[in-house]
Amino acid sequence: MATPITMPQLGETVVEGTITKWLKKEGESIGRDEPLFEISTDKVDTEVPSPVEGTIVEIKVQEGETVQVGTELAMIDTGGNGQVASQPQPKREEPEEPAAADKATAQEPAAEQTDAQPEEPPAPARQPEPPAPAPQPEAASGEASEARALAVPAVEIGERGSRSQILSPLVRRLAEENRIDLSQVEGTGTGGRVTKRDIQAFIEGGGAARQPQPEPEPLPQPEPQPQPMPRPPQPQPAPAPAPQVSAREEAIPLTRMRQAIARNMVASIQTTARAWNLVEVNMENVVRVRTAAKDAFKEREGISLTYMPFVARAVCEALVAFPDVNGEIREDQLILKRYVNLGIAVALDEGLIVPVVKDADTMNIIGLARAVNDVATRARAKKLNPDDVHGGTFTITNPGPFGSIMSVPVINPPQCAILAFDAVEPRPVVIDDAIAIRHMVYLSMSWDHRIIDGATAAKFLARLKENLETWDFGPEVGLAARQA
Amino acid sequence: MKTLAEPQARAASVLRPAGLVPYGEAFFWMHELAEQRLRGEIPDTLILLEHKPVYTCGKRWKPEHLRWAQAQMEAAGAELHFVDRGGSVTFHGPGQLVGYPIVDLGVKPDVLEHVRRLEEVVIRACADAGIYGLERNPVNAGVWAGDAKVCAIGVRVMRARVTLHGFALNCTTDLGWYDAIVPCGLSDHRVTTLSRLAGREVTVEEMAPMVVRHFGSVFDLDVMPGR
Repeated sequence: MATPITMPQLGETVVEGTITKWLKKEGESIGRDEPLFEISTDKVDTEVPSPVEGTIVEIKVQEGETVQVGTELAMIDTGGNGQVASQPQPKREEPEEPAAADKATAQEPAAEQTDAQPEEPPAPARQPEPPAPAPQPEAASGEASEARALAVPAVEIGERGSRSQILSPLVRRLAEENRIDLSQVEGTGTGGRVTKRDIQAFIEGGGAARQPQPEPEPLPQPEPQPQPMPRPPQPQPAPAPAPQVSAREEAIPLTRMRQAIARNMVASIQTTARAWNLVEVNMENVVRVRTAAKDAFKEREGISLTYMPFVARAVCEALVAFPDVNGEIREDQLILKRYVNLGIAVALDEGLIVPVVKDADTMNIIGLARAVNDVATRARAKKLNPDDVHGGTFTITNPGPFGSIMSVPVINPPQCAILAFDAVEPRPVVIDDAIAIRHMVYLSMSWDHRIIDGATAAKFLARLKENLETWDFGPEVGLAARQA
Repeated sequence: MKTLAEPQARAASVLRPAGLVPYGEAFFWMHELAEQRLRGEIPDTLILLEHKPVYTCGKRWKPEHLRWAQAQMEAAGAELHFVDRGGSVTFHGPGQLVGYPIVDLGVKPDVLEHVRRLEEVVIRACADAGIYGLERNPVNAGVWAGDAKVCAIGVRVMRARVTLHGFALNCTTDLGWYDAIVPCGLSDHRVTTLSRLAGREVTVEEMAPMVVRHFGSVFDLDVMPGR
């Protein structure tokens, strides 16, 4: 039977590729995982292995042609007739006998030269001492052997067995974790394959009914992870009797999102020992840089330069300096984290969602601006992945654009604290015994007194204030460094 | 719904051969290590080194990208190699930090993302050295200061999985070497070095640890020093 070989997708943004070289000719046999062709995309050449063993009966796209992802490139007969079964061959066969079809060979003299060159690896004698790194068996040998076949056969081979055998590890795990009977899931992937999206759709459609606990629905909402700490009696909205509604009232069922928010916020109030601090920050330093940089920034990056990345940058530094504020309590232990995953509260029409910018402490202003914009945009477009809303270690909320000047936010457990920054606005302030007008902002933080004390919270906020008032942010947004 | 467990940062190692490495040796070793990576025998690995002077032509080279004849290059003390990476002609030599990340891209490789990550590593490392404002350029992969390229990038992906080749960051490179070629096949763009940009000497030794650190953070790897 002939299996079509198609142009593989080599990345989300990659829509086409140029066939630079066929490593096999029509009529030749090939083994599974043996290199079949090479694709070029700008700066990257990719060698693609054959997904099946067989004989190449037809090459449909010649070297030098650029085609869309999914285009049929060749047909491989997997029936085993004709040539003797493949042996692992040296990867570059000499053009020996002018065999069956060498018509493709003459096409690219330049490419031929190119290929002739990769010099023979130097003889072992003159090699430097082998820099072989210590083998690390745990570093994914299984993964490497898995599903190397990338050029997907457009048709799954029937005798390969049931669909469950061609699940990706991700799908298999999702199914196991959600106790899903895969025979119930309709696969929309290649050859009826069940994909991650299928599983998610199945779960959202209520398919994963037999959940062991009243665990949350697949809502993109920060959940309190199942904590070994005393779980509060949960107001279960589900079996509530239909409320009495008078003629002048209207009953609207809570959306699942609303229900999840309600549950999480009540759980937060009931499990955390919330306390609150406030500092006032002079934002002139930030305003100056932002004003000078924002037009060029918008031009260059395509996104607006808001106050958020400045605050996020200053917060990340302060979290690294005060790791307790970035910590959580897990089974009577304080867990400190060597990373900052920053939750960014995003208001949607249907409710609040808090996507997470992972490893925010490794980013500069530009990186943070891009990442915050990315998650916020995807949140509004309902394009967040489940992973995007989990794993946060600290949250920032910004009610300023709505006109609020001071807030008392609710902590998002198991996180220790949440920072609200409100409207930046000119206010009269006392500077050197005179009253001046400066851009000011209130930064307020709700924090969990089980994890930290007021001194830590106050020092953290002082650090944050100092960062915002004194740092030279200019170089990170494309301005010259401030003269000392 | 339960979410997938956060993948732990994978272990990775760094190889830092001393001295000026002949191109052929590095070429041999990166292919050898890539084969080992493919078989799962070693973790992701970053090779960091400086080369003896060499010109290399990637798959997209054209004869007009070479301004000197091979004999002229050899007379100047440089080798010429035609290699299996993407991109066109470039130069490697003393004063240039070359990084060859041997990284498993997994079952769903995103090759352009890999290039973007290499750029990010370099941009962050340079920021750490106080050289800001470096950026990507829609014209061409790599890291740029305005219209001058400071870091070239060219990659090959073995079996659609494991990366070879990588980036070349000019620290104190003698730019005279570039007279021999049209770098990356772009005739109307310049090349530059970090030292020129910074107005001070920025050496390979200074940049290497920062590149290692950001290789770890950008690729989410726990980098351990190798041999």
